[in-house]
This record gives sequence, C-alpha cells and structure tokens, in this order.
Amino acid sequence: MKLWDSVPLVSEVAISVSGLRKSYGEHEAVSGIDFEVAAGEVFGFRVPNGAGKTTTIEILEGYRERSGGEVAVLGVDPASPTRAWRNRVGLVLQECELDPLWTVREAIALFARFYAAPRPVAETIELVGLGDKRDARIGTLSGGQKRRVDVAIGIVGDPDLIFLDEPTTGFDPTARREAWNMIEGLKALGKTVFLTTHYMDEAQHLADRVAILRGGRIVAQGRTGELGESLGRRTVIGFTLDGGLGVEEVRARASAPVQLAGNRVEIETEQPQRDLYALLGLAAERGIVLEELEVRRPNLEDIFLELTRGEGG
Amino acid sequence: MKDRGIVLAQARMAILVALRTPRAILFTVAFPLILLVLFNSIFIKSGDNGTTLPNDVRISAQAYFTAGIVAYAVALSTFTTLAVSLTTQRENGQLKRYRGTPMPPWTFIAAQITRATAQALLMTAVLLGVGALAYGVPIPTSTFPAFVLYVVLGTATCCSLGIALTAFTTTPDSASTIAPFTVVILAFFSGIWIPVDQLPQWLETVGKIFPLYHLALGLQTTLSPSAKGSGLDLQNVLVLALWAIAGARIASKRFHWEPQAARA
Repeated sequence: MKLWDSVPLVSEVAISVSGLRKSYGEHEAVSGIDFEVAAGEVFGFRVPNGAGKTTTIEILEGYRERSGGEVAVLGVDPASPTRAWRNRVGLVLQECELDPLWTVREAIALFARFYAAPRPVAETIELVGLGDKRDARIGTLSGGQKRRVDVAIGIVGDPDLIFLDEPTTGFDPTARREAWNMIEGLKALGKTVFLTTHYMDEAQHLADRVAILRGGRIVAQGRTGELGESLGRRTVIGFTLDGGLGVEEVRARASAPVQLAGNRVEIETEQPQRDLYALLGLAAERGIVLEELEVRRPNLEDIFLELTRGEGG
Repeated sequence: MKDRGIVLAQARMAILVALRTPRAILFTVAFPLILLVLFNSIFIKSGDNGTTLPNDVRISAQAYFTAGIVAYAVALSTFTTLAVSLTTQRENGQLKRYRGTPMPPWTFIAAQITRATAQALLMTAVLLGVGALAYGVPIPTSTFPAFVLYVVLGTATCCSLGIALTAFTTTPDSASTIAPFTVVILAFFSGIWIPVDQLPQWLETVGKIFPLYHLALGLQTTLSPSAKGSGLDLQNVLVLALWAIAGARIASKRFHWEPQAARA
C-alpha cells in the first residue's frame, strides 16, 4: 500500500452548494441557496410543499440540471454523474414503486448487483428490520414495510452519502421510531445523511444541522439545537409562585424581563443557565421549591411555522 | 464480466415477473396457441386446403396459419410486452430508481430485449412444434435457415418498435391498449387472420407498409415446401430492417427514464 492510498478520498465536506438557482421558464423554483453538509453528519432539509424541495434534492442527486450556481456532491458535479460517483451515493426516493411481484430479497439482491462493493443482502434485510419478510412479495407489504425496502435498496450499495426523501411519511408512530433508530444506525456507521422531512420533530431528533427553505431561499440554517437561539428565540424558564417568594425578588435576580400571568412566572432569557442558577440559589436560600419548574428550549416546529407562514405545510 | 451478470440478473427478474403474472401468460402464450388450434380446426373442417401467397408460392392452410400465428406471437412477445412493461416500470418510478444507481442504462434495455427474445423464440418453437405434430405442417430443410432468420429479424424489429412506442405512451393503460390493438389490426392487414388473396387490394397495399406483413409473408414462404431457393426475399428483409432502424432511432432519442404522466 502506497502512502497516498491512505489519504482519504472523501473531503470533510460531503455536499457543497453555493448560489444554486433553478428556473422553469419564468418561474424561479430555487433562487440562490448556499449550504454545506459535512461528511458524517445528518443534515435536515425542511421545506413546505412546492417551495423547491424536489428541485433541490434532484439536482443534488444528479437527476436535474441547474440554471446557475456551484454544486459539489462528494467532490463531483452531480450534473454529470459518473458510475463511480453513483457507487458512493444511495438514494431513497419518493413515490417510486418496486415491482409488486418481486420478493423483498429478490429486489434487494438485484440492486446489490449494480454496486462495486455492496453490503451483504441478508445483512441489509436485517438492518431495515425485514428479516421475517424476506421472502414476501413486495405487493403484500404494508406502506411502512415497503418504505423499508426502499431504504434497503438505498443502502445496499454501502454508499458514503444517502439521500432520504421523506423516509417516514405515512408511518405510524411506532414505525417512525423504528425508522429513526435505523437512521441513527446509519449515522453510527459514519454515513452522511441528507434528510428531507415533513416533520420538524423528526429533523430535531435526527439532524445535526437543519436548513429551512422558503420560496426558493434558505430562511434559516444552523445546528439543530441552536437554530432557535440564532434566530433570536430565547429559552423560557417557567414556574409557579406559591407565596414563599415574591415576583419582585425574582425580577431582582433575573437577567431578562419577567412575565407574570396569575401566579405563573415566565422568563424569556438569553442566559438560561445564569438565570436558573440565580433562581435555584434563591429558592435554596429560602428553603422552598420552585413549583412546576420547566425550561423550554425554542421549538423548531414553531419557528418553522412562523418562517413559512402562508405556504403549504 | 460484471455487466453481463447485471443483464442476466435483470432478465431473470423480468422472466420471474412474467411467470408470476397469469394474465400475461394467458395473453401472450396461451392466446396464440388457442388461435393456432382454432384456425387449423376451422380450415381443416371446411376442407379449404391451400392458398397462394402474393409471391405465387402455394402453401397449405395449416402451414399458412401456423406461420402467420408465429408472426403474431413474435409481435406479442416483443412489441406488446416491451411497450407495456417498459411504460409500467417508467410510470411507477422504477426506471428513475435504476438511473439513480451505478447500473449502466444499456444493461437494462439489453435485459428487457433478452427477456422478450427468449419469449419470442420459445413461442416460435412451441407453435411450430404443435403445428408439425398436430397438423402435419412441414418444416422444409432448404428454407428453414431463412425461417429462423425471419424470426430473429422480426424479433429485433418488434423489440425496437416496442421500445420506440414508449416514447408516445404516457400511462400503462395507454400502452396496454395501443400495443395489442395495433398488432391485432395489423394482423388483418398482414394476412394473418384471413389469407392475403382474399383481402381487398387496398387493405393489402396498406399492410405492405408495415413490418408485420413482411414478417408473416417471409415465415409463410419459408414454411412452404414449394418455395424456391433459400426462401429469403430481399423486399421483406429490407422493410423489416428499415422499421428496426427507425424504431431504434426513435428509441435512442426519445426514451424516457422518468415518469411522463405526472409531467406538466
């Protein structure tokens, strides 16, 4: 093995997009967006219907040509996809059926053949939790099980980067939880995952970073946990006063304005830790308990709804 | 060869699907056999025992209908099944999915053609076997190579046209209506249901434009012991080849991998 063989081919950046534009005639579906996805991260892409989601993801997947801007996916321009590049990219598309007459194993084994170094078929079937359905025809599976076959086909080539386009739409809560575990498993294997979803809690749960698209532009992006703060949203500390403490004392210690509704206190703070420390210290001095204490971080779903108001969900 | 393995794996999957679709087997395998039995039974009963081909070759009714139904079965096995299955796979997104993998596109087309060709050759063998054993259809050795050549050329032409047709069919329903309908109607113009010498002149003139007429005529000629030489006719070969080339050109320019029905 030569020295340069050990230099990783994968740059630290899995996807890099700058100034991406796409027009259909007069209509501009994507109007200059920029983002980067680091190798090994789960990137959540949250878009209301018809706001350029399909256009963007299909440009990245090598299905559509762009009108402008620069795009590199695993260091390659997806406008001219090569076989070697396809070997490293797995797709889980929306609205693509498989032949209902194939069995699960037949379908996955067929797709495995297309790749240079596929993952073992039996192992892939187990990974998506379809072990007991391996010989069932695809036409007999439930919607959730079919979606798992889609995922199995997307990962059977052992790709470095996986596009998951709404992997859990139409799932019941149990199936969604299982799908989440599977996606976390992919991340644990070191895969980069580009995830689009209709569910903000899904993005919040799975994604390291999130971008929100509206009207063909990115209106917010950042680390999942910090997106709210970066948009000026604050953490809320709330508790109920029960006589041992006066609201003026709370105001004196808090760093932010204190709202009082009935005997419920809420503080919208940029420094939650400092304020909690002060308030808990106060409670400890008095030997009292802060009743119904809660600390609420900014909710991504609220932010999303606010940012995309007036567009489809 | 890894790519050849991909072709074979895909052909195998296509054959599995066909075997698991009773309706398709009934339509493309049982139907021509039933027609063969019906036609031969009807014409033996009526005592009609022979006709003259447009090239003045005399042929028995049994050989005439057997050859014609081989032409019909070849068209069903290739033109119809390819148009329907490719349109269906395109519209349900399966082709789009293939394009997102490292699979070389040609391997998919090659596999579909392999499947269709296997079916066409199998049907030819079965129909010819039944014709020979049950109805005494002769298999003349001098013209048999030309018979095989016509089957192969007809298969190629019909595959090419079946793939080309998918450029114009936007839904599986439209494909499964247009493709078999075209074959049944053209079969009338091509002397498959009714001998050409009983057709009005204009019908035959129109029929001559299309490949099925020439495929049927070529097969009928080469199945007649009174045919001269190899039985190969340049005009038949030429028309079939021209349609094959035209189909291939349309297919290579206008074949779509993404669903068309949903497109604005």
